[in-house]
Amino acid sequence: MLKYNNFFASYFFILSIIVLPIIAQGQNCSLTFDGYVHDLGTGLPLEDVNIYVEENGRGAVSDSIGYFKFDDFCKGHYHLVISHIGCEAEFYHLDLTEDTTLEFFMNHSHHLLDGGTVTEKATPKSTQQLETLQQQNISDNAQKSLSNILESIAGVNTLKNGNGIAKPIVHGLYGNRLTILNNEIAISGQQWGNDHSPEIDPLVAQKIKVVKGVGTLQYPGSNLGSVIMIEPQKIGTEPHLHGKANYFLESNGWGNGVHAQIKKHSSFVGWKISGTLKKFGDRKTPNYYLNNTGTQEANLAIQLEKSFSKKLFSELYFSSFNAELGVLRGAHVGNLTDLEFALEQDVPFYTEENFSYGLDAPRQKVNHQLLKLKSKYFLGDNEWLEFIAAGQLNLRKEFDVRRSGRSDIPAMSLKQYTVFLEGKYKNELKKDWKLTTGLQVNFIDNTNNPETGIFPLIPDYLAYETGAFGILTKKINKSLFEFGLRYDNIYQSVVTFSRTTPAEILRYENNFNNFGSTAGWTYSFNSFFNLSYNVGWASRNPAINELYSNGLHQGVSGIEEGDVDLKSERSVKSTLSFNGGVDKIFSFETLLYFQNINDYIFLAPQDEIRLTIRGAFPVFRYEQTQAQIYGFDVSGKIEFTEALHSQIIYSFIKGKDKSHDLPLINLPSNNLSASLSYEFPKAIKIGKRKLENFSLELENKYVFKQKDILLEQDFLAPPDAYYLLGFKMATNIQWNKSRTRFHLALENITNTVYRDYLNRQRYFADDLGFNAALGVSFSF
Amino acid sequence: MKSLQSLFLTLLFGSFIIFSFSSCEKETPEPPNEEELITTLTLTLTPVGSGLATTFTFEDLDGDGGNDPVITEGRLSSGLTYNAYLEISNGQTTPPTDITQEVLLEAEEHQFFYESTVNGLSIEYRDEDADQNPIGLQTLFTAGDPTTGTLTITLRHQPDKAAAGVADGDITNAGGETDIQVTFNVEVQ
Repeated sequence: MLKYNNFFASYFFILSIIVLPIIAQGQNCSLTFDGYVHDLGTGLPLEDVNIYVEENGRGAVSDSIGYFKFDDFCKGHYHLVISHIGCEAEFYHLDLTEDTTLEFFMNHSHHLLDGGTVTEKATPKSTQQLETLQQQNISDNAQKSLSNILESIAGVNTLKNGNGIAKPIVHGLYGNRLTILNNEIAISGQQWGNDHSPEIDPLVAQKIKVVKGVGTLQYPGSNLGSVIMIEPQKIGTEPHLHGKANYFLESNGWGNGVHAQIKKHSSFVGWKISGTLKKFGDRKTPNYYLNNTGTQEANLAIQLEKSFSKKLFSELYFSSFNAELGVLRGAHVGNLTDLEFALEQDVPFYTEENFSYGLDAPRQKVNHQLLKLKSKYFLGDNEWLEFIAAGQLNLRKEFDVRRSGRSDIPAMSLKQYTVFLEGKYKNELKKDWKLTTGLQVNFIDNTNNPETGIFPLIPDYLAYETGAFGILTKKINKSLFEFGLRYDNIYQSVVTFSRTTPAEILRYENNFNNFGSTAGWTYSFNSFFNLSYNVGWASRNPAINELYSNGLHQGVSGIEEGDVDLKSERSVKSTLSFNGGVDKIFSFETLLYFQNINDYIFLAPQDEIRLTIRGAFPVFRYEQTQAQIYGFDVSGKIEFTEALHSQIIYSFIKGKDKSHDLPLINLPSNNLSASLSYEFPKAIKIGKRKLENFSLELENKYVFKQKDILLEQDFLAPPDAYYLLGFKMATNIQWNKSRTRFHLALENITNTVYRDYLNRQRYFADDLGFNAALGVSFSF
Repeated sequence: MKSLQSLFLTLLFGSFIIFSFSSCEKETPEPPNEEELITTLTLTLTPVGSGLATTFTFEDLDGDGGNDPVITEGRLSSGLTYNAYLEISNGQTTPPTDITQEVLLEAEEHQFFYESTVNGLSIEYRDEDADQNPIGLQTLFTAGDPTTGTLTITLRHQPDKAAAGVADGDITNAGGETDIQVTFNVEVQ
């Protein structure tokens, strides 16, 4: 039993429940079980925790030392729901055969306000700052895309094209420079495009983590800084069928959707199936509809887990993401003159009086499939091998408004498949030493479908990426040290067309070597305060689009040209964080970062206007410069009482092109958010039922004007600062064998007219007006 | 250490599989057939009554990139009235594809606009679609006193022909995407 626990302790990122069976005499219906509840963050006992037994409806409340007790139980299976103010409810399955004492750890004290971000200080695994969004937060925001959910984390912003198309930015880096992991696999698609969202369903995740660091070397991809990780929940060993269903409805865009999942662990195999359907229509600004901005999604995930022996554990994961995303009709322009016309419109062209779910050109159709097999083989209790084989298939079609019924023929049609193999060795043999090392091979095949009838913007290519890494962590007294090294060899075989008549075939072969290294140190003054310093050095080879883009990029009304002579970027990033707090009164997280990127690749406007039959277009070419990005994220939480909390988040960022003494474009505006929340300390009784965790929250967000940009760097001056007011309300009801959560969110309550600097739609239209989102989730 | 060895072997084997199933060189793609492309615009002006026709041509056979377009400009005679015909085609195909027909078939979704800085030059629409709105493939040009200026011809796809001034040739409220926009220098002798 104990060994079994060790097995899973290492498997789960964090173990919140430990079982300590105590052997005593057992009679059939006179069994006792009791236990203690502690705060995971501080280890202190938690009072007033509700423990509810689904099978017989009995309940207990923990006392001042976190103790609770049940008498006169029969042998059998019991499902416990452990709930407490400010915590996400924990579910626990107990197979009661004898008198038992349980010990629970609840994730309580470091919860930031909305059940939102948590820094897992209790068990620091890395010296780099980790921010986590928990399941309840994800499912309360079921109507949002992955990127929009991530926006609640300090230092994370989104680059958008309307509301449906959004990609995350962490510390100013996105696209080719930001790695996104879907269940440990780097998502492989057309990440280079500013209007390409990550193809991931956030509702499948139990946790979404953002490492705001200097490079996470155990993953392929760019190691310039941060990593976003989407982690589905492990199935565990619970032998009964469990599931949950979630429905949401929102007023702006009349979006609605359903997510359902069921899981069970049988002696043969543990399985979980989840699916999501979402549909949104035209969104609305305070004054008019945004035509053709609806989205539709249908996603499926299947997870299997099996222990072949005590030493060999395997899991199979399949996920399918399928989306159709509309782009504002009035945002589709033919040339620079059209764009200038469009910029002058108060209300975009093609705005209609009526709401519609219709999706016409311009639109995107994206399908992404992932199949992953992972096996873990234990060489000893604390030493194991991991093997991963994963395949991905990414299809992206983009439809433009075209003549003669060609709007149904994509203007861009790309197929990319990726095969990834990894072998990893982990060793925690000595108490304070931890070693992770591995080898990875990644193969990418990217092909344009000629059905488009248009010469492609990016070429066809094959890429072979072979990498090796090693990470060592060592604990000495109150310090944790981390060192990492990584090497990648990248081979690319590229084939493209010359722009002559007739078109000729051009071939290129590239070989790049990337190196990465990190060093970090965390010092814990006590269980409340810690200080971390990290430094990372990494190189990133130029991406295919940076080398070979050639043609008209309709979305930006410009001609984009790659440069085949680009060199690799070299980055040095350092972070300094100081986190701490006085428990139950005040807690804070601060993170300072500074990054220098030599030969930073960016799209530079040229002193050239190219004349075509469609008019004149500005020319942009990929160039290199010396870039510098620095900033800080601060968040603080004050607990006036156990029930009344306030939270403040501020992020500041500045970036500079040092060679040309210009600001960097597409950097987030500084922003400040503050919220006040109240959660009723005791459940509210309504007849036989109780409203548990009844909470109210007022949210304020202020986004400063992006002043750090020159007028000649953009088509339009950055929009003004804006302020948004939001409100949230949620509660849980425990039924006999199920639990229901109601959630209401009001956004932009004052129906403020605003535009956001990082939303490309700002050239054409206002941002979203008032929205009310109602969600119900049901779990059994 | 034995397991480490087997791990390396598995990986080696795995990568071997990948490399053997796919060659190291990306296969040669099929060039797309750019049938939608417009390379050539020709405006032919024939004097009403008698006289020599004059033409304005904009031709960019290799599309957006590559060589610069070739522009030929004609001359108008002061005081003359011309029947003007626009033709557009894709010169990358042999024989060239006539795109004028494509525009005519979707006449309600297309309109040509003529903006001129030539003093005294008047341009009137001489054709209409099923909704009695102008298309702009046929026009009537009347040249005034000798002068010079420019003429910009714009083809808008999906314009709002009902918007104010659009049917009279004012592009301001038209909206839609520009499929063609070319500018000629015009001399009235």
